[in-house]
Amino acid sequence: MRPPVTGGRGGGGFRGGRDGGGRGFGGGRSFGGGRSGDRGRSGPRGRGRGAPRGRGGPPRGGMKGGSKVIVEPHRHAGVFIAKGKEDALVTKNLVPGEAVYNEKRISVQNEDGTKVEYRVWNPFRSKLAAAILGGVDNIWIKPGAKVLYLGAASGTTVSHVSDLVGPEGCVYAVEFSHRSGRDLVNMAKKRTNVIPIIEDARHPAKYRMLVGMVDVIFSDVAQPDQARILALNASFFLKTGGHFVISIKANCIDSTVAAEAVFQSEVKKLQQEQFKPAEQVTLEPFERDHACVVGGYRMPKKQKTPAS
Amino acid sequence: MAETKPLIGLTWEPKLPGLSLDTKTCSTSSKRVESHESSSLWMSKSELVDGLCLPPNDPKKINKMIRKQIKDTTGSNWFDMPAPTMTPELKRDLQLLKLRTVMDPAVHYKKSVSRSKLAEKYFQIGTVIEPAEEFYGRLTKKNRKATLADELVSDPKVSQYRKRKVKEIEEKSRAVTNKKWKKKGNQTTNKKQRRN
Repeated sequence: MRPPVTGGRGGGGFRGGRDGGGRGFGGGRSFGGGRSGDRGRSGPRGRGRGAPRGRGGPPRGGMKGGSKVIVEPHRHAGVFIAKGKEDALVTKNLVPGEAVYNEKRISVQNEDGTKVEYRVWNPFRSKLAAAILGGVDNIWIKPGAKVLYLGAASGTTVSHVSDLVGPEGCVYAVEFSHRSGRDLVNMAKKRTNVIPIIEDARHPAKYRMLVGMVDVIFSDVAQPDQARILALNASFFLKTGGHFVISIKANCIDSTVAAEAVFQSEVKKLQQEQFKPAEQVTLEPFERDHACVVGGYRMPKKQKTPAS
Repeated sequence: MAETKPLIGLTWEPKLPGLSLDTKTCSTSSKRVESHESSSLWMSKSELVDGLCLPPNDPKKINKMIRKQIKDTTGSNWFDMPAPTMTPELKRDLQLLKLRTVMDPAVHYKKSVSRSKLAEKYFQIGTVIEPAEEFYGRLTKKNRKATLADELVSDPKVSQYRKRKVKEIEEKSRAVTNKKWKKKGNQTTNKKQRRN
């Protein structure tokens, strides 16, 4: 019998944010599910999560508190852009007045007196935001969609996905680590459309009674067998003709091979599991050696119309 | 010869030429109906059904009526973001957004020439709320402005750059005019000397 999988050594995680620090550069051990490196605790070398990066003091950007911005719809449904001196990706806050990870918010007062709030989505802390800014054609996560999120961690990206799908949609967030799970559960208390599941994504049978059929699976597990994990969950929960979004970290799969070769091998694995990858985007300015693959699952074959 | 009974009130018959048996009665009744309709000119013919005002049966017309009542929004895909009423201030802010590449030479923006029609029509103006950790980096109440344009005008960096550029342009234009003026002066003096 194999011993339970513990986290690998931290290190090599290029997850630092520009403002307000990222998620720890190595050091310490990564807790639960072997999420290597990028979510490690702060050790003697690591900065830990949320530690300030670089010099302290006021931000040097244009989006200072109190400044005016114009919010307009993005190409992707449910996503918006805030344009001012700087541009930022934003989502409509499902819980106005509440920030999840100390992010900036944008308050808007409509002509009829109603107040709306948007939350700034940091691409240095969210791979999905990085993929959107990288120019992915379709993320398939839109208002009203049901999403299964594998590797939810503390729920920073999950909170934005929850904003995206809106009150009619639903997000099933799976995270194995109890430490991260605490933050996830606390976030889910305020967001009624998030269902936190503290289970191992390798065993979807354990949470099959909690999850219904979903439209999209988003996977960010950073494991060597992540293609198998995705396929297993898809066979349980992803509807025929549904879609998947998977974030691939080359170092987690094989650090000895070139990143492009790793991405290619992962795509081949996905194709063997009835997935049909449609596009691949690199997350280069935001993440080093990461790619995002989007596609469909058990896509119905196009019927050829008889030529008249 | 068939007896013709005097008509009392209105009689309704389908206006089909093949079905009417008595041509005289049909013609008189149709005249009466026409006169009745002409008296109620304020009501459209489609909405009058046996003298009662009913909504139209045509689904296209119904949809049109509903569309007029509903406020113009982006739709459910962007959580019904409303289209704002255009004011001169808003127009100015939008123009500034288009021309913001000129404002600061150090900052470069993606070209937004092909802005989607959604973005042109539907937008909102909001205020950034800073997190607690950026308390000292926020704009003070004194520096906060009502519009994007006012904010840019009051920004010292932008104003410095603008002043510098204006000075450069003025100096260039001044130098050109001076040369012209000098030339002109020389020409006039030469002419005077020649005349003498």
